[in-house]
Amino acid sequence: MLNMPYDKPKAAAGEKHLSGELIQVVSFHLGNEEYGVDISQVQEIIRMVEITHVPRAPHFMEGVINLRGQLIPIIDLRTRFSMQRAEHTKSTRIVVTEIGSKRVGIVVDSVSEVLNIPLEQVEGAPDMIAGVGTEYIQGVGKVNDRLIILLDLTMVITGEEKSELDSLDLA
Amino acid sequence: MSDDLFDKSEFVSYFRDEAEELLQQIDADLLQLEDLVGSEHLDSELVNSLFRALHTIKGSSGMLQFTGVQNLAHKLENLCDLLRKERMPLSEGCVDILFGGRDFLTDLVDSAINGKDAPNGLNDYIGRLESFVAVYEETSNVIEGTASEISFEAAAAAESEEQAGAGDVAAFEADIWRMVEAARAESGTSAPAPKPPELKAEEPARAQAAQPAAQTPAKQKQKTSAHQTIRVDIERLDLLLNLVGELVINRTRISDIAGTLERALTDKNGAVAALNGHAKDLVPLAKELADSSALLARTTNEIQESIMKVRMVPIGQVFDRFPRLVRDVAKARGKEVQLQISGAETDLDKTIVDEVGEPLMHLLRNCVDHGIETPEDREKRGKPRHGTISLNAYHEGNQIIIEVSDDGHGIDLEKVRARGIKQGLIGSDDRLSDREIIELIFTPGFSTAEVISDVSGRGVGMDVVKKNITRLKGVFDVNTAPGAGTTFTIKLPLTLAIIQALLVRVVDELYAIPLDSVIESQRVEMEDVRTVHGNEVITLRGQVVPLLRVADFFELGGKRDPDKVMIVIVGLQGRQVGLVVDSFQGEQEIVIKPLSDVVGRIPGISGATILGNGSISLIIDVHSLVSEAYASGRVARAEFSGV
Repeated sequence: MLNMPYDKPKAAAGEKHLSGELIQVVSFHLGNEEYGVDISQVQEIIRMVEITHVPRAPHFMEGVINLRGQLIPIIDLRTRFSMQRAEHTKSTRIVVTEIGSKRVGIVVDSVSEVLNIPLEQVEGAPDMIAGVGTEYIQGVGKVNDRLIILLDLTMVITGEEKSELDSLDLA
Repeated sequence: MSDDLFDKSEFVSYFRDEAEELLQQIDADLLQLEDLVGSEHLDSELVNSLFRALHTIKGSSGMLQFTGVQNLAHKLENLCDLLRKERMPLSEGCVDILFGGRDFLTDLVDSAINGKDAPNGLNDYIGRLESFVAVYEETSNVIEGTASEISFEAAAAAESEEQAGAGDVAAFEADIWRMVEAARAESGTSAPAPKPPELKAEEPARAQAAQPAAQTPAKQKQKTSAHQTIRVDIERLDLLLNLVGELVINRTRISDIAGTLERALTDKNGAVAALNGHAKDLVPLAKELADSSALLARTTNEIQESIMKVRMVPIGQVFDRFPRLVRDVAKARGKEVQLQISGAETDLDKTIVDEVGEPLMHLLRNCVDHGIETPEDREKRGKPRHGTISLNAYHEGNQIIIEVSDDGHGIDLEKVRARGIKQGLIGSDDRLSDREIIELIFTPGFSTAEVISDVSGRGVGMDVVKKNITRLKGVFDVNTAPGAGTTFTIKLPLTLAIIQALLVRVVDELYAIPLDSVIESQRVEMEDVRTVHGNEVITLRGQVVPLLRVADFFELGGKRDPDKVMIVIVGLQGRQVGLVVDSFQGEQEIVIKPLSDVVGRIPGISGATILGNGSISLIIDVHSLVSEAYASGRVARAEFSGV
């Protein structure tokens, strides 16, 4: 298990215009793309555990897990981004994120490393990347030849799902 | 006292709590006082109790520079002083003025704390109060005796008096200084100044407070308040309760492990399995683990119970304000009503106590307004002129029962039915059971009142009652007898955090059904399952019980057993529904954890729990599951042959 140190950065790095010289992201793979989320939003990374299905929850909501006595809802990023579902493998991980007071786990294909990306290497989001709508993207970071898609986790977790929840209430 | 000497906000919150308690007490005292109107004997302890409460409010509000509150409290105090010295007869008008003053005090305290404007009509009221008092006050300045002596005596007595909080002590010191000043001024000049007598008026009352008085109701009241003097932030208790929740989960897990280990080491016949070498040493260890886990279980249970008890408060906290409410409503509607309260000492969880006040208030208003007849009507029917409403609370198992009953004319089912048809809630030829008709009064917007009064009739109220009770996982029952009265029975769980649940398996997952809504569980052969309008039902002891397949409701898929169904009969507002599950997995105590707000509200699921083996079980919200199923036509409408 890879436990991330939980350092609170001095400047909030979760904004559209990332501040500071370097940004630190946890990078992971999903399909053929490499994504990154701000390290300050990552609480820990765990191996796949049994996920309890929650009936009639929004479709991208995989279920809930028990993390040391706490219930954490799990979002399948592949479903969230309308990608093809994949079998869970040995390298599948749950990235437990903490945004505000909400803790949410996201299922990713594999976690690679913690990257320092110089701010000048981060560009605004292009219109469309590999089927992921721009609303989830904060920018694209370049590290050597790699392109890291920087995710706006707040949008991933709360963005569209609100309306879906509303319609669920009406049903 | 200037602001920078102390942290005002802390005192304000202390003041709010204190004022709330005192205003409640004033209310209770006034109600007793009202009963004494016209009687020869005036209970001086009662007036003194009023006096003390008003004085404390005056002192604390003065310290916080809430001058509005201070002034009014002071003026009311004057009135009480006149009463106490029997310079003013106790009249109905006087009690009404005091009641009015008490209400304005409440408003003023509220507006002072929240920095709002003084309530409307305050000046008018103060005008009335002053002119009322003025008549008697003119004679009052003459009889002041050796004022300075009294002052010092009182100050000494007051110092020995136990004071509840720092704020009070500070106010008190200020008072003493003022007394000393007043006394000094008086000993210098022989003519009594016009102001000091008002200050001195309170001294004898205080001196008396220091003496052990007889066990009058007012004294008992103080006793119960003394119970409440330890104020702990409810969040701290919640945290503690959460931690105990974790402990309970782990305790169950350890028992599980001990059980598994013991089974692994013994064979089917209970004999110790043939083990070789070191494995044999495990047998006593397993036994020790089992013993130790049993001990742990006991201690954990005790801790859990103790913490639950800490969170328990007597329901009397809520009941206290009802005598006033009933009095006011009865007076406004020209009725004579007696409220009898019993079981005020019954304990239940603080969170429930906070929530149960509103529904009870609506119920009581309703009883006075719709239940009890006018005095003339009652006499015609050979009943006593005054109606009686009784409010009763008691424990039954791990539930608390609250009964509100009146001896009025009962619910007129025909009228309710006619009204329901008129409002389009039911069809004119719907066949409804009595219970279903009564259910109509809990529909939002429903009212049988022809005229909307300021008390009730707007159609809000009873639906609020039902909604609140349901939210507290309580159940609600109504019994009515034409001409004899109506009884509302509310059953509430003692706590909302830990419940007994029946675990069931549905397709791949375990679900927990709160045991308080489970009536029984049964295995039923498929051939006994009939269909009504395409929905499955069974007949149970002559009653038709609609079935609801949980797997279908949650869209879980899964195969159906062609031979039999496993059914959990749940009761809901007197209706029964059979939930079809795959198998029963026994009962367990579970700790309710809310599903994160990220998951959102899911119909049929109220939360989740973590089981002994670490896996998660979702908790079925019987109420929303069944009502949703009814609404979507998934369940046959129950036809009752019994009712």
